[in-house]
Order: sequence, then C-alpha cells, then structure tokens
Amino acid sequence: MLKPSIRLTVASLVVLTSLPALLPCMAQLNPPANPLAPLPPAPAAPQVQSIYGSIVRIEAATQVPDYREPWKAGRFSGGIGTGFLIGPNRFLTNAHVVSNARRLLITMHGSPRKHPAKIVYIAHDCDLALLEVEDFTPFQTLQHLQIGNVPKLESQVRVIGYPVGGNRISVTRGVVSRIDFSSYSHSRSDQHLVVQIDAAINPGNSGGPVLQDGKVVGVAFQGLRSADNTGYMIPTPVVRRFLKDIQDGTYDKYVDIGITTFPMFNPAMRRKFGLSQTASGVLVASVTPDGPCDGVLKNNDILTAINGNTVDAAGNTLIDGEKVNMNEIVERKFSGDMLKLSIIRDGKAMVVNCTLKPFPPSQMYSVQYGVKPRYTTFAGLVLQPLDRNLYAAHSFTNTRVRRLFAHYIDEGIFKERQDIVILTRVLADPVNTHVSGHVGTAIESINGKKVTSLKQAHDLLHPKEAPEFFIIKCEGLERPIIVPGNKATEASKRTETNYGISAPSQLSK
Amino acid sequence: MKFLTTLAIISPLAFSSCCEQKKIATTGDTQNDESISYQEKETTAQSFVRINATIQKWSASQPWDKSAPAKRRALGVLISDTRVLTTAEMATNITYIELENADSTRRLPAKVVAIDYEANLALLEPDNGDTEDFFKELKPIELGTSAKIGDKIDVWQLEDNGMPLITEGTIQSVDIVSSFADGHYFLTYEAKGSMQSATSSFTLPVIRNGKLLGLLSSYNSKDQIIDVMAPEIIAAFLADTADDKYVGFPSIGIGISSTVDPNFRTWLKLSDDVGGLYVTRIRKDSAAEKAGIEKGDVVIEINGRDIGRRGYYSDDNYGRLYWSHLIRGSQKVGDKVNLTLLREGEEKKVIATLERPGKRLIASYTYDQAPRYLVKGGFIFQELTGTYLQAFGTDWKTKAPLNLLDVLASPEDYEEGRNKLVFLSATIPTPATTGYESMRNNIINKVNGETIADISSLIKAFQKPGSDGLHTIEFSHGPPKTIYLDVAASDTVDAQLLKRGIPALSRE
Repeated sequence: MLKPSIRLTVASLVVLTSLPALLPCMAQLNPPANPLAPLPPAPAAPQVQSIYGSIVRIEAATQVPDYREPWKAGRFSGGIGTGFLIGPNRFLTNAHVVSNARRLLITMHGSPRKHPAKIVYIAHDCDLALLEVEDFTPFQTLQHLQIGNVPKLESQVRVIGYPVGGNRISVTRGVVSRIDFSSYSHSRSDQHLVVQIDAAINPGNSGGPVLQDGKVVGVAFQGLRSADNTGYMIPTPVVRRFLKDIQDGTYDKYVDIGITTFPMFNPAMRRKFGLSQTASGVLVASVTPDGPCDGVLKNNDILTAINGNTVDAAGNTLIDGEKVNMNEIVERKFSGDMLKLSIIRDGKAMVVNCTLKPFPPSQMYSVQYGVKPRYTTFAGLVLQPLDRNLYAAHSFTNTRVRRLFAHYIDEGIFKERQDIVILTRVLADPVNTHVSGHVGTAIESINGKKVTSLKQAHDLLHPKEAPEFFIIKCEGLERPIIVPGNKATEASKRTETNYGISAPSQLSK
Repeated sequence: MKFLTTLAIISPLAFSSCCEQKKIATTGDTQNDESISYQEKETTAQSFVRINATIQKWSASQPWDKSAPAKRRALGVLISDTRVLTTAEMATNITYIELENADSTRRLPAKVVAIDYEANLALLEPDNGDTEDFFKELKPIELGTSAKIGDKIDVWQLEDNGMPLITEGTIQSVDIVSSFADGHYFLTYEAKGSMQSATSSFTLPVIRNGKLLGLLSSYNSKDQIIDVMAPEIIAAFLADTADDKYVGFPSIGIGISSTVDPNFRTWLKLSDDVGGLYVTRIRKDSAAEKAGIEKGDVVIEINGRDIGRRGYYSDDNYGRLYWSHLIRGSQKVGDKVNLTLLREGEEKKVIATLERPGKRLIASYTYDQAPRYLVKGGFIFQELTGTYLQAFGTDWKTKAPLNLLDVLASPEDYEEGRNKLVFLSATIPTPATTGYESMRNNIINKVNGETIADISSLIKAFQKPGSDGLHTIEFSHGPPKTIYLDVAASDTVDAQLLKRGIPALSRE
C-alpha cells in the first residue's frame, strides 16, 4: 500500500566522471613502456577517422571546497571525461566533467599531446559546458560535429567516448528506449528532457557525443546505479537551448513557470471542475510566491494550454510527435519571454499571460560549483548559510532546519530570509565550552534582531562597539547562547589561531 | 539512559549447572550474614509467581490489524493475598496474561488491576478469583525500605525445574532513569552484578534482607549493570492502587536547561552561591503555568532543597539526586510544592499544586489503546500518535515524514481547533481514489466545511457531504490543498472493503 513513487530519485543517478577513471589515465602520462609501432595514416574510411578525431579526452584536476570546514583549501582530485568539437575552438562537454576544475587538458584521439583548455560557458542546471583550448592550431583540420534532432524511439545510436577500462576511444551501440522529462543529477534540483538508451554508458563517457546518421543526437551524461545497460543522454533541444542562451555572451540559466500541477484523473475532481471525461487540462495546485505566475494564476485554475499547445489531464503535451511534460514548452523559452496560458477559472475559460523571469531563491536547492563556501566565525561559533551543499555536508536532523529547507520557496520564507543561517560547529574555547545542543540549528536572532542573511548576522556579531552580551537565539531552543561582549574579540582570535582558521569569514561567493 | 537489553530467553539446558552460582550455607551456625539460609530462601521463593504474557501490538499502517503475537515470561512478586506485582512492560498490549507457579503445576488466567506506563509498574490479580487454590502455598512478601550505595542485593530467577537462581549485586549508583515510556524518569538503583539467562527472565524481583527492594527493569550485559526500580516508587504505586481509581504520578510541566555556563549565569544575574535551572518551556494548563512560573525563570529551590546548576539536590538518603525526584518520586497528585524562583535577578516564591500531565495533541504514549481510524473510499485517516511515528524504525526521528515530525516538535502551531491531529496515513487504490494513489501524510484541516478536531468529528463531517454528491477534503498544506471524493463511489468502495476483509471501517 505504501508503495514508493516510480519516478527516479536523484540519488540513484550517477554522473559519469569519477575518480577511478583517473587511475588508468595517469599511466598514460608515463612514457609508453611497450610502445606499439605507430600506425601509418590510414587512407581508408576517412569519414570515421575524422569523427573520432573530433571527439576528445578531457582531463580535469579539481579542487572541491570543504563545506564542513569552509576555511580549508578543500580536496584536490580529478577525473576524466569526453568532449567534442562543434565549432571553431568550441568543445562541448558536461558541466560535471569540468566543475571545480583548476586545470583542464584536452587530448585528441591518437595523439599524446595534452592541450591546456579553459571553460568559456558553463551551465550547471543542464549539465553542459563549452571549452576552448589555448592554441587551436592542431585542431584546425578537424570536422565540426553537427547537432541533429531527437532520435526516434527504438532507433539505434552510437556512444563514443573515453570510459573506464582503457585509454583509447570506445564505441558502444544502443537503442533509444525512452524519452522522458527527468532529473539531472549534477545540480540535484533540475529536470529536463532526457533520452534513455540501452547502451553501456560508463564513467568517462560523460560529455561524449551520441551519434545517429553522422549527427549528434545527444550528450552522454548519467547512468543508473540500480540498473544495467541504462544510459542517459542530454537531447539536442537542451543542447540547442544552451547554445542559444550563450549567444549574448552570458549564460542566463533556465527559467521556471513556478507552479505545481496535480493530475486531473479523479472522476469526482473532474466533476467538481466541470470537466468532461475527455476534456484536457491539469489542476494548478500551487503557485510559487514571487514567481512568474504569482498574481497570474491561482490555485484551482485548470491549465488547458500553453502557447496554444493543449495540456492533457496528466500535464503532458505533444511536441515533435512525442508526448512530453508540459514544462518542455517552458524549457525552450528564455527569461523575458511571454507565455500565453489558457485556463478555466471558476468554470470560465480565459487566457492569461505571464512573463518568464529568473528566480534566484531556487539556488537553495541547486548544488553550487566553482564558488567559495560562505561562512563567518565568532568566538569559536561557525555560521554558514543553508543550501544544498551545506545540507549534503552536514546532513541536518533538526526538524526546524529540515522544514526551513523544504519549504524555503513554497512558503515564501525567502522573502524575509535571504539566508537561513546555521550554527554548524562550535570550536571549543573557554568562552563557549558550555554551549551544547545548539549545533545544527538555525539562528533566529542576535541581540533581538531577526537574522535574515549571513552578511547581516556577521555585522550583528561584529559591531563597532561590543554590547555587554551577544545574545544568540537558535530556533526551537529557548536557552540562548551568551557571549560577553568584552571576551568575544579575544575568543575569536584565540580560536582562529588554535583551529588554523586562515580567514575568519567569507561573506561572498 | 535506558538499557534496551532485557535478558533474552535462552534454553535452560545451557545453564544446567547454574544453581551453584551462589554458595548456600548448609548449616545454620554459619555467621556469615551475607549468605542466605535455606529456610529464608524457601520463604522468599514462596512469594514468586511466573507470569506468561502474549503481547500483540496494533499495526501502524493498517490500523484495523494487529501484528503477530509475541510471548514474554517474567517472574512476578506476590505483594498481597492475591495480587502480583510486575513491570508495565510485561502487561502492556497484552491479549492474554496468566500466572504460573514455580514448579509449573498450576496456571491461572490473570487481569491487570492497575498499570503505570510512566513508572513501568503493573499489578495483576486472578481473572476469576483463585479458582485453582493457586495461592495456597504462596506467601506475600513485604516491601522493603530504601537502600544505599554499597548495599548488597539479590536478583532472583527461577529455572525451569523450579530451582531458584540468585545473582548477587552491589548498588553502585542511584539515578533518575526512564525505563519504559520515553521521557518519564524515576528513581532507579544501578547495581553491578553478572547475570545469566534463565527462563522467566523478562522482569525479575530484587530482594534485600528478605524483603522486596524493587523490580529489575533492565540489564546491560556488556557493562553488567542491573537497573532496579526503587521501593519508594513501588510504594507510591501500591498506595495509589488501594482504591479503585488509579491516578498516577504527578507532574509540574516545565522544560529546563542547566545553568553551568558562566556566561549564561552572568547574563541571568545569578550569583555564585546559587545553582538554579533555567525554565525553557511551560506546558499549557500545567501546575507550573497555574502557579505563575514563566519561561526564563530560574528555579533555585524546591521544597527547601537547593537546586544545583545541573539540576541536582542533596537527598538525605542518596546524596546528589536529580530534581525531578522531588516532584515525581516524593509527591502525589494534589500535593503542594514550594518553589523559589529568580526572575530578572529578583527572588520570587510560588506554590504549585501538582497535577497529572494534561492531554497533549500528540500523546507521548498510547499503550493498550487501539489506533483510532476511519477508512473512507480507500483513504485511511488516523490520529497522529508517538506510536505511529515510532513505527518508522529506530531512526524514526529522521525517517518519519517531516510534516508529521514538525507537529511533534511544534504542537502549538497545530493545536487550534484540534483535540488530536487527524491525517491521511495512506491511500488504498480504489475506483474512488483514482489519481490520489500517492497521497499520504497529509494533515486534515476540514472535511465538508467542518473543522476536524479528531476522528469522531471526521466521521461526523463525512456524514454531511455537499449537495453536489461530493466530499470536500481540505489539507493544512498542499499541493493540492483541496481534493474531492465521490460520495456514491466511496460508499460503494467502503462496502467492498468490508467484504474484502477489513473488519470495520472506523474505530473511535
């Protein structure tokens, strides 16, 4: 009876660069111990040769920040992925292949040379990135891969890349087995169109092209831990959108319509809203506060069409001959675009318009890459703003904190609190040695002032003139933390020295 | 600090030689007063009765069902002519309980006269009188007085053949311990002794100087620590059972925090010569609220006893003991307690008249209470209880649904208009619940326009559907906030569910 929802959980998806992939490739850095005789240039099959040449191996050396001890340098690591040439000095790959990278090297098929590269654009929300090499000359003659369309179900595709198990290029074949709107595990909060194929996609394949009839129909990017031979690729509508978004020189991210819908399957529900058995339309179950539809749509509206595309009872619509989630229409739009929404409100059909716009509070739920963790310290107390990275690093159990995180947007908590500031650690010091039970809770107020952001909390804790007491109240706990004003500075200095805190605060990303 | 390890029931064959565990003086002329004479041992053994219980809990997910029965055996103590004392743990959620004599020749069905889940004590008597002459060879034992640290105690067990198995222990500490119902702490002796398993081991009598000292509530085999409920608590329990109406132990209704932190003390303006407990919470309608105690007060004295920074006072008999014993262990409901408070540094005296803890939105325990539920069209509605949340496993505090945990953490946010919190616990896929299959853990605000205070009001609200033939169900949080259920379709489904084996569609 309590059956789990069938939708894939994000946790079960794996991104396809991984540390193990680093080990075999490191061997390649050494001079070949047993060199095979270099092959003479093969005159035959120039088509295949040139496609392989355009598919490159990407070696990333990364530095991953430490959200548990944010003043530390973090963990140095690395991984291998695949990329491919789509234009003059434009290499497409996955964002997760190059995230947090400190050094990027690109290697051509069949060449030992490593070419330093850098990120030009990176889109964490759709797991794509565009790289360029410092010197494009050696790549001049290579073919630019063409971006094709969404492959048909059951059609065959080839996946090419540099997965684990060897150093040279690898080709696998598979069949398109599902086209769906699904989770992108890199950011842990985004859902876009995904194409599932039954070819083996393994760590190292990430960022590699999926080809059909000589054209790119997708970018291999994630697999499923619990199933064999299930690979996922980013289909070309997502790729095209990314390439279009960056045309103006910046990546502006996806924009969301900001509503939750509920399927209109129940006969009683349909009767209540006056919908016949066959009538289209999905229920608007909630509208995100301050989102694009706030003030445009209301709870209990029936959304029947977006820009003229009929939305069915399950919230799906027909695009390019395939039934997909209606969000797919919004997906292809950009900030500032207008949507025409056909609705039934209180039994009356009407059309309303909404203008899509960025929604910064949704950052709360996206894994952040390439940014410095924000924090401040005070008398041994470590304060950090709540976000997905922090949540993953600390796995909070406090009910209030979990609740603030879960309802940050739908209950409009973001309007009052730019940050939820968490006391993540107490570094023992004579001034705080008796503070216990407060770690892992959200800071409600400092000296009576409600805490609304990390910066503001930092300022409250570092005033020009120290108050008699700093009174720090944590949510759900009546007993405040008390730090005498005249002991605070000394205690801060002492803990910084004793615990090797190189910088007492980092207030911007 | 509750030890969950109670002795496992192991085949008695494994311990066939264990009657040698304690040397028994063979002649009367031994002057060793720590040994027990045969005669004394015979007399003491006459007070013990085996208890066999069949325990069956209710299913949390399908509240009309009971889970598989389990058996427990214990050794009870005859405390008066026909009344047997044991732990509440032994007599909770029982479908059948019986008494059995030492040599297993006679058995007698029993019933519970009084049970206190908080103090973990229960009193049994024969269900239909002493039909078997069950008690004719038995002799009640007298309840002893307080012991001290260092005192020797004997834990009694009976082997299958009826032979006693005695383990000696030494009381090492006295503390306030919660042994059964979570969060209820009572005076407990902690004795060191190496116990072995025998039959009837779930709860055992502890004897000192030929009198009953207490009952073993748990044994930690790793540290070899025996927890023994103290005689004061048993005496208070027995006194309460003297009349027909069992009341229970009193409560004052405050939540507290220590005042050890010197910075915190300076802020509270506490001088070094006082201890004190910082009041963090006042339970609604509690003795503390009525006495005028406020959040932020510091309790420095209870009935003339200074309360230390960590909440300990000096007990005449036991030394340092936690303050709660001054309320729960030494007073009755209705007794007056004098408290000295510091408010903003000013001393203030109040008198609190102790009460039973008031009703709460989420009861901390619901032992022996069948879950209240309603099945409507395939929706299963229940009243939220601690038992329901605990059914999510040992790490239920993180595994249970977040919105339900929030009710437990902040009940004041949900109390308005509610006696109990009614929620949709699960949805059985039926023609009436098409499209709603994945709905669960939604808190109910209103049904058909009526505010839902408990299951009874939910049942009434479902009897008044809208004129359009639909039930309207409103949740406290969405999405969606409101859903509809077809009256005719859900009635049909209800009739079918009864045919398919759900014994009753509701329990009030």
